[in-house]
Amino acid sequence: MEISWLQAILLGLCACLSSMPGMGGSSIGNYTLGRPLIGGLVCGLILGDLTTGILVGCAMQVVYIALVTPGGTVSADVRAVSYIGIPLAMVALKSYGLGADTTEGAALATSFGTMVGTLGTVLFYGTATINLVWQHMGWKAVENRQYHKLYLIDMGLPWISHLICSFIPTVIMCKLGANVVEMIKTVLPMDGIAMMTLFTVGSLLPCVGIAILLKQIVKKTSDFVPFLFGFVLAASMGINLVSATVVAGMFAIINYKIKMLAVTRPAAGDDEDEEEDI
Amino acid sequence: MEKKLSKKALSKSFHNWYYGHLTCFSQEHMQTFGYLCAMLPLVEELYTDEEEKAKAMNTYTAFFNTEPQLGSVIVGITAGLEEARANGQEDVDEETINGLRAGLMGPIAGIGDSLVVGTVIPILLGIAMGMSTGGSPLGAIFYIIVWNLFAYFGMKFMYFKGYELGGKAVDFLIGAQGEALRDSISMLGGIVIGAVSATWVSVTTSLQLLNDSGEPYLVLQDKLDQVFPGLLTAVFIIICWYLMAKKRMSPIKVMLLLVVVAFVGVLVGFFNPGLTY
Repeated sequence: MEISWLQAILLGLCACLSSMPGMGGSSIGNYTLGRPLIGGLVCGLILGDLTTGILVGCAMQVVYIALVTPGGTVSADVRAVSYIGIPLAMVALKSYGLGADTTEGAALATSFGTMVGTLGTVLFYGTATINLVWQHMGWKAVENRQYHKLYLIDMGLPWISHLICSFIPTVIMCKLGANVVEMIKTVLPMDGIAMMTLFTVGSLLPCVGIAILLKQIVKKTSDFVPFLFGFVLAASMGINLVSATVVAGMFAIINYKIKMLAVTRPAAGDDEDEEEDI
Repeated sequence: MEKKLSKKALSKSFHNWYYGHLTCFSQEHMQTFGYLCAMLPLVEELYTDEEEKAKAMNTYTAFFNTEPQLGSVIVGITAGLEEARANGQEDVDEETINGLRAGLMGPIAGIGDSLVVGTVIPILLGIAMGMSTGGSPLGAIFYIIVWNLFAYFGMKFMYFKGYELGGKAVDFLIGAQGEALRDSISMLGGIVIGAVSATWVSVTTSLQLLNDSGEPYLVLQDKLDQVFPGLLTAVFIIICWYLMAKKRMSPIKVMLLLVVVAFVGVLVGFFNPGLTY
C-alpha cells in the first residue's frame, strides 16, 4: 500500500487542525479530529479503506482514552498518533497481511501508534516554541495599541508553526513510512522475539490508558467497585457498551438522588419535604 | 447612560474564545492571547476613549490557563465585570478582575479536567467504540455530532451563565449540588470505563503445563477466567494504576516498564501472540 502525495497532504492538513494547540480550536480540533477513533474515520476516508481505518482507530483509542493535558504537559501528541500513527499502522497491517479486526492486528496497530505518538511530543513542544515568536509580536501590538493585530496573531500566524511542526513532518513521515515499514518487515520477522514483544506490548499498552483514567476517578479503594462492576457487566455478563452505559446511568441517577437527599435534608425541615412530595 | 453589552459583541467574544483559546499556545503564556481576543470585542464596544481601551486590554495581559470548555464561565464572568467597570462601579478594578481570574482558573481547571476530559469524553468515546465494533463508521459519527453539540452549547451556556450570574455561576459548580452531580457522573464514568476495558483490552497468557503425553493439563488462561473473566486484564490495569497513582510514575515510564515486562514475558513463554505467516 502506497500513500500518494495528495493523500499525504490531506493527512498533513488534518494534523495542523487536530494537534493540541491546533488550528481547529480545541473542541473541533483536539477533542474531535485528534481523537484516534475519529482519526481512524478520517484516515480511512483519505486512504480509501474505511473499515481498516476505524478498526485501527478503535484499537489506538483505548490507549488514549483519557489523554488529559493538565497545565499543558503532554505525554503523547494526538496529531502524531492520529495522522502519522494510524496511516502507518494501516500500511503495516496491509504489508504484514494482518486483518485489522484480529487481536494481532490491533496489537500491531497499538504499538505502532504509541511509538509514533510518544516521539510526536517533540512536535508539540516545537509548535509551542515557535508560537513564542508570534506572541512576542503580540506584546508589541498591545503596546502600540494595534489591538486588531491580535486576531492575526492568535488565529492566523500559528498556521506557520503548524506548517513547520505538523504539516511537513506528517507529509514526510507518511511518504517515507511505507518504505520504512517494508524495511522493518525484512529486518524483523514476525515470529522473532522482537516482533513478539512488540505485539505483546501492544496488548498491554491500553492498560496504561485505562489506568490514567482511573487515576482521575479512584480516590479511595471503594471507588474501584464501579469500575469492576462495569468490567463484570461486559466480561462476565456479555453486555455491550451502549447497554452498559444505560445500566451505569441508572446507578448514577440513584447515587445523585441519595446525595441530594443528604444535601437538602439538614437545610429543609420535614414540612417542606412533604410539600415537595405533593 | 448605563452601558450594556450588546448580544452581538457578547456572541463575538464567545466565538473568539470558543475557537481561539488555544490556537496560539505557548508554554509561557498558554491561553493569554485567546483571552485577549475574547475580550477585544467587548472592550471595543464599552469604551470609545483610547486610553480607557488600553487600560482595559492591559488587564487581560496577565497569564491565563484553565480547562477551556468549562473555563468559558470565567470569560463570561469577566465580561460582566468589565461591563460593571465601564459603568464606573467602584469596587471593580484591574485587581479584582485579575484576582478573580487567578482564583478561578485553578479550581475550574481541576473540575474541568476530571469532568470534561476525564469523564464526559471517555464515556462518549466508550459508547462510540461500542457502536464502531467491526469497523462501522457509525460510532465515530455519533461522537463527532454528540461531542460537538455538547461542547458548543455547553460552552455557550457556561459563558452566558457567567455573564448573567457573575461569581454565583461558580457556586453551582463547587457547591453541594454540583458536588453530588460530579460524584454521580464520575460513578457513571467508572462503570462505563470498566465495560470499555473488558471489551477492548485483552491481556492473555499462553502459559500451559504439559503432562507426559504432551497434552496440556493446566491452561493458565482458562483457570484465571474461571476465577474472574478477564482477571489478567483487570490485574494489569490495577498494577498500572498503582504505579502511577501511588508510586507517582509517569505514563511514559510505565509504558517503558511494560516493554520490559512484555520482553521477559515472551522469553519465559508467559506471553505469546501466536503469530505465523
